Amino acid sequence: MEIIVTLRKKELLEKVLPVVDGVIVGKDFTSSYHLSLDDISYVNKYCKDNNKKVYIVLDNFINEEELNSLKEYFNFIKELNVDGIYFHDLGIMDIAKNYGLFNKLIYDGKTVLCNSLDTTFILNKGIDSVVLSREITLKEIKDIIHCNAGKVDLQIFGHLRMSYSKRKFLKNYFNEINKEYDYLNKETLYLVEEKRDYKMPIVEDGNGTYIYTDYVLEMFNEICDLKTYLKRGIVDTLFIENDSLIVEVCRDYRRISQANKNFIIENIHHNYKYDYSSGYLYQRTNIVKNEQD
Amino acid sequence: MIIHQDIYIKGQILLRMNKIELLAPAKDLNKAKIAIMYGADAVYVGGKFYSLRSRASNFDLDDLKQLVDFAKPYGARIFVTVNIVFHDDDYFGIREYLKYLESIGVSAVIVSSMALIPIIKKETPKLECHISTQLSSMNSSAVNTLKEFGADRIVLAREAGMDEIEKISSQTNVPLEVFIHGGMCSNYSGRCVLSNRMTLRDANRGGCAHSCRWKYHLFDSDEIISNPNCLMSMSSKDLRASAYIQRMIKANIASLKIEGRMKSEYYIGQVVKTYRKMIDEIYEKGSLDEDRLNYYDNELSKAENRPSDDGFLSGDCDNSKHLYGINGAGVSHDYVAYVHNYDELKSIAEIEVKNIFKKDDVIEVFGPDIDNKQFKIEYMFDEDWNEVTLANKPTQILYVRIPFKVKNADMFRKVSIS
Repeated sequence: MEIIVTLRKKELLEKVLPVVDGVIVGKDFTSSYHLSLDDISYVNKYCKDNNKKVYIVLDNFINEEELNSLKEYFNFIKELNVDGIYFHDLGIMDIAKNYGLFNKLIYDGKTVLCNSLDTTFILNKGIDSVVLSREITLKEIKDIIHCNAGKVDLQIFGHLRMSYSKRKFLKNYFNEINKEYDYLNKETLYLVEEKRDYKMPIVEDGNGTYIYTDYVLEMFNEICDLKTYLKRGIVDTLFIENDSLIVEVCRDYRRISQANKNFIIENIHHNYKYDYSSGYLYQRTNIVKNEQD
Repeated sequence: MIIHQDIYIKGQILLRMNKIELLAPAKDLNKAKIAIMYGADAVYVGGKFYSLRSRASNFDLDDLKQLVDFAKPYGARIFVTVNIVFHDDDYFGIREYLKYLESIGVSAVIVSSMALIPIIKKETPKLECHISTQLSSMNSSAVNTLKEFGADRIVLAREAGMDEIEKISSQTNVPLEVFIHGGMCSNYSGRCVLSNRMTLRDANRGGCAHSCRWKYHLFDSDEIISNPNCLMSMSSKDLRASAYIQRMIKANIASLKIEGRMKSEYYIGQVVKTYRKMIDEIYEKGSLDEDRLNYYDNELSKAENRPSDDGFLSGDCDNSKHLYGINGAGVSHDYVAYVHNYDELKSIAEIEVKNIFKKDDVIEVFGPDIDNKQFKIEYMFDEDWNEVTLANKPTQILYVRIPFKVKNADMFRKVSIS
């Protein structure tokens, strides 16, 4: 299993590269990561010079009117000769064919790839691999990866994206309450539902608004059982301001074993105070409303 | 019977006219029949399993067969939603279910699982495979991909603008379905799991708690920046695309879809009838002027239970298209009775009470063959022929004198209080 990390800022590159197999980069309008094309070129060259891999992320939906810009971006991606392209919009499959990049595609449906049949179906189209939904249990993950060993990625660390909207929730809200506020691309904002106390990061960019889990997923306890079957483990850095944590997490995922995992978990939890969670690994969501709801 | 898009002889379809399809939702058998009687060309419903909207009553296997049989003489088609985001064990029994749907004459299934497409094509080839809006298709490349997967129809994302819909349609021969009316997810469909986190109810398997319509405090680091008198909400107004129907027809959209599998028979009847008449008038006259559009908007507003707008069809959604301070839909109390029968000799209608009304109220009757005809309640009787002056018991059967002919499935709404 490769350990790869998303770059929420260029400055993270040199710190994290020694402890990862590759990095994921993205630019505005096509993703929730906002490096410039120059930055992406720089990262690509730096990684190649250091024998590390580079992945492009396209984790947004694409409007019809954005298709031409996307095709220009694909020319740029093709020249970079990156190692893979994470995509969210199924239209990317149609476009990538025309650039000879189809076999580098990695499907990340975020919330919708929850079963073996769909996983096998889309892999059989000839793409490189897939990222499983974050909302499935450990048992479900195991069932899926056993059918598709070596073709599946998993987000193994970071906040989980809970919602994605084309609507500009923050802009609209500040307009509604007549408040001037510097909100765009700001990673320090969070929502708290009026009857609950979860602090859920919310960020708005030119594409819309994203809301993430209050907790940080970590799965050191489970990764030893999974890593033989996984192609890549993804460490997501959005909203994680502490670069040392990112570096340590990536290093730990690479060196973890049954023998040292308890030490690693204790060390991370002790030194870096975040709300860690195993997400849905042991918590199945209900199909229907509970009686008490 | 409304003869909306086909020509019939003795209840059998003779010629299907090439009109845009009006597709209506239904929560149960009665509402599905209402949708068809009021002019829907097709109705989409959910079964007991595999379907979002778990709180809708949903149809068991017998109901589905009854519905298909009911729809046949009207030339209406039945679509069944199989649109949950499947986990492995959700697929249990799906093949048998699809075969049953095919065997009883269901026309299409609406799916979000890509893996079901080849299964449907191979094992139940008479079923059309429609791709749910859960896959958020909003560009021609996505449509091409899904076409290659084998899709027979694609439901576009509600985030697509009218200009984009026209462009997408011009570049594909796959039939496209577009939402024109009803509730809107404020996030991309299928990509919101707020409900999973906050209630453990799976938004993509029929358990959505509509967390987007709740109220939220907004913080920047440790500082609260939301207004305590107007907390943040993601709640969107409902969609009303009446002003875009002409463009949708010109753009060769295959189907116009009404949202609302949780809605009442009144809502279904009023909305379906209004769009039915609107579509027919456009085909008949070639266009609608502003007065006629205003008329239809007014008709739609009678069924409205949440403020509405044109969503992304006109471009971006600004704050005027959001709801702040309102959590959910209100319930209209204008709908007061449902007609079961009419005795022409005595001019007496047998009605079922839905909401409170009384003697001397002015009532407007609408139905598949009657347009907003008014009368004043002068005589009402219960089943023992005792005179009633106040109808305030929902489901009670009453008898009302009406000076004009009504029939089963017509509805009463209150227009003024005396």
